[in-house]
Amino acid sequence: MRALRRFLNRVINLARRREQDERLREEIEEHIALQTAENLRAGLSAVEARRQAMLKFGGVEAMKQDYRAERGLLFIENLLGDLRNAGRTIRRMPGLAAVIIVSLAIGIGVNTTIFSWIHMILFQPLPGVSGASNFLLVEPRTETGGYPGASWLEYRALQTQVPALRDVVAFQMVPLNVGGTGQTERTFGQLVSGNYFSALGLKPAIGRFIRPEEAERRGTEPVIVISYDYWQTRFGGAPGAVGQKVRVNERDLIIIGVAPREFQGTMLPLKFELWAPATLAPALLGGTRDLEDRSVRAFSLIGMLRPGATREEAQAEFSTAMAQLAHDYPEASAGIGGEILPFWKSPRGPQRLLISGLAILQGVMLLLLLAVCGNTANLMLARGSARQREMAVRVALGAGRWRIVSLVLSENMLLALLGASLGAAIAVWGTTALRVAPMIGAFPILFPTRVDELTLALAILLGAACGLIFSAAPAVHLARLDPQDGLRSSSNTPPRSRARKVLMGVEVGLAMVVLIAAALFLQSFRSARQTDPRFRPEGVLLAAYDLSGRNPDEASEREFAARLLERLRSLPDVEEAAIATNVPLDLHGIPARSFTVQGRVRTEAGQDRAISNTVTPGYFKVMAIPLLEGNDFAEMGDTAAPAQAIVNEEFVRRYLNGADAIGRRIQTRAGSFAIVGVARNSVYNAFGEPAQPAVYFSYRDLPAIQGEIHLRTRSGNETALTSEARAVLRDLDPMLPLYDVRTFSQHIERNLYLRRIPARMFVVLGPLLLGLAAIGIYAVVSYAVARRTREIGVRLAFGATSGRVVLQIIRENLGAITWGTAIGWVLALVISVRAITKGVINLPVFIAVPAILLGIATLACWIPARRASRIDPMAALRHE
Amino acid sequence: MKQKADVLQGTLALMVLKTLDVLGPLHGYGIARRIEQISGGLLAVNQGTLYPVLLKLEQEGAIASEWGASENNRRARFYRLTREGRKQLQVETQDWEQTAAIIARFFEVKTEDLP
Repeated sequence: MRALRRFLNRVINLARRREQDERLREEIEEHIALQTAENLRAGLSAVEARRQAMLKFGGVEAMKQDYRAERGLLFIENLLGDLRNAGRTIRRMPGLAAVIIVSLAIGIGVNTTIFSWIHMILFQPLPGVSGASNFLLVEPRTETGGYPGASWLEYRALQTQVPALRDVVAFQMVPLNVGGTGQTERTFGQLVSGNYFSALGLKPAIGRFIRPEEAERRGTEPVIVISYDYWQTRFGGAPGAVGQKVRVNERDLIIIGVAPREFQGTMLPLKFELWAPATLAPALLGGTRDLEDRSVRAFSLIGMLRPGATREEAQAEFSTAMAQLAHDYPEASAGIGGEILPFWKSPRGPQRLLISGLAILQGVMLLLLLAVCGNTANLMLARGSARQREMAVRVALGAGRWRIVSLVLSENMLLALLGASLGAAIAVWGTTALRVAPMIGAFPILFPTRVDELTLALAILLGAACGLIFSAAPAVHLARLDPQDGLRSSSNTPPRSRARKVLMGVEVGLAMVVLIAAALFLQSFRSARQTDPRFRPEGVLLAAYDLSGRNPDEASEREFAARLLERLRSLPDVEEAAIATNVPLDLHGIPARSFTVQGRVRTEAGQDRAISNTVTPGYFKVMAIPLLEGNDFAEMGDTAAPAQAIVNEEFVRRYLNGADAIGRRIQTRAGSFAIVGVARNSVYNAFGEPAQPAVYFSYRDLPAIQGEIHLRTRSGNETALTSEARAVLRDLDPMLPLYDVRTFSQHIERNLYLRRIPARMFVVLGPLLLGLAAIGIYAVVSYAVARRTREIGVRLAFGATSGRVVLQIIRENLGAITWGTAIGWVLALVISVRAITKGVINLPVFIAVPAILLGIATLACWIPARRASRIDPMAALRHE
Repeated sequence: MKQKADVLQGTLALMVLKTLDVLGPLHGYGIARRIEQISGGLLAVNQGTLYPVLLKLEQEGAIASEWGASENNRRARFYRLTREGRKQLQVETQDWEQTAAIIARFFEVKTEDLP
């Protein structure tokens, strides 16, 4: 208790040091005055009286030390002293400090931002759910390694047969048409098991959630839970929303509650608006057999471990249960086992889409930060050398090695932490900017990234690590300093430039790797915008419809598409209309099909595959892809013509050796098709891709439940067609919404979104890094040159031309730089070939980047060298 | 060395407490004088060492201090015993007496008294 009180008082005293010092001084003075007075009374002379009083009091300084040690916390006082000193030092070099802080801040900010994404994807897969990391994926797995999902009946069995898992929940994503006649809008919801909300531990914003019994039997209460956003935008956040009816897929459902604000469903990054009991599936999905057919594996399952249970137990129980199911229901479950997976190993979702790209980006950015550290170390080293004399004085006055190191360390740490705080601010800004992602495809997307304690901790940690890294060299250098050496004139001591040169080389090497990565990325991004896609996206409007709510058969799908096309073509502003199942340059790519083609004998194992798209007649005209041979598909209503296919040039070249394609037959799992035409190659999945073989099938032969409408406008203003297209669809079917309406150009832009973010980062970071490297080299060279002023003077005095001097200085420094560049170049080449471009070497980048880097490095050497060579030899010799 | 200083500090603290208990509020010089007088010059310590002890006692809450006027009418810091200090003095006096008694008995024991 007493000790605690004493400690608290010490802490308080830290803040009152000055006041307390003053008090002690006064007390001592008074003490000595009183003693002197006493001595005077005893008959001593005035001088002697005071001397005796002082003697009796004892050593004032030693006592003050004791007093201070008693009063406060010596360690912290020293630290505060160091920090104050560091603050002063930094204020004396505002330019240098600004360069260091800003470059660190950008490095740390970018890294933290990327980390917040990775963190979200890996560790916070269920936004709004606390304890999300306790959930595991419960995934049936086929023998071939596919993850087909679970059927409803399977789920019901697993609920009781995996006791190690508490509350296994099931959900599936469903497209929903919400709203009354003529004003339906399309959105996405999840059909969920009755324990969904309780297992996730959610509390409704208002109202209540689905009760277990409501997802027990068919035809139970037609209820629905809406998202917080939906509640805000459609009902203005009015509490009266609960109890209202909404029309969903032509059924009236009653809103019973609103989900919490953060919650966006259980399939990150999709953002769902509605949740309905799974037992509503037949009602909402036009009589689907989801609930009774074991072969319809529409549901995803997740579950939380029971306290005390392990994943191994759960896995064993799950495997047993799946084996039992395979035994009981061989026709639906034979050969299907199961795997319990943590979220970060998810076989689908954004984990797979984003994580490898983000990992590479993070790696590159960490290298960038390292390069920044190298640069800072260099600057600090140059500066540290300039402060040799100051440090020597400190050592001579009795400062220990550790005090010198701690002084340097506190200066650098202060810089690093200032950088880290600014970096954290950049990260906060960056993650907020990234949250505002557009819809990708027709799906509402929300990346709930944010800067939380962990990411902030990372920023601070990175800052501290950087501080340590770039403190090491100067601290060691200064601590080893011999005060005699340091105090003597500095110009005749040999410059210790090895450490600086190595650092310079490392920094340039790192910069090299990062710059090449940036250049490769930017080039691929730019080519994405400039390459001719070999079709004409301008003037084309895209829009989607989906008949899934009706469960139509093939005939009605075909008939619907035919009627829709007929009506669209009759619009005055429409030059041509078509429907296709896939749109080129989509984020998830166009699927490929395996096939055999007449007249082709495969020599190697495996199957021929080609990109496949199913399109209506008129598609090639809308897309402005010329047919090089043959004709377009037969009309939709034509029942006489045989099944048809159109292939592209690359298909003919690769699989038919350029022979005549027309009339040959293609066999796929869907049937046999006669080739009626050859289309020009175009871009399918990515700009800059090598030519891909492609097969187009006719919508007439393979009608689909959904379609992407392509409209080419006559006037060139494709957006003007939107309302007319909507009206046409409303006329045909008032309950069917037209969704995902966008121009083809918008479609392309949107799908470049994920590449645009790193592209923007690189546009800023590339030049910044170049600039930093230049500053680093400049600082090192000009420092080295300044130290050699006398030597240069001697050379000049003996008749060396200034050109020779410049050349020599550049040559000396360029050695380390060239080494660094070369190593960085090889490293970048290896990484690029093995990880990014997969064997293709982008020669211009690999030549241009080192050229630019070396050019700038030479310039950064040349400027200080030239300045040095211009000095007057006499002045240089006198220079001290 | 260090141990000896600690012992001294401990006893010095007790002397300070006792002095304040007997004489009431007093400034540093007064305390030093009193200890000198009582110990009869046997305790020859630098008077300055008193101040860290005073600070320690104050930080522990055994004594409190405020500014007042000294005999020659100058500002001086006056220390007084707090309630807690009084308690501490009581406890430590007891401890000290006990220790002193034990030590005294040790010295009284002669070899022939041993069994």
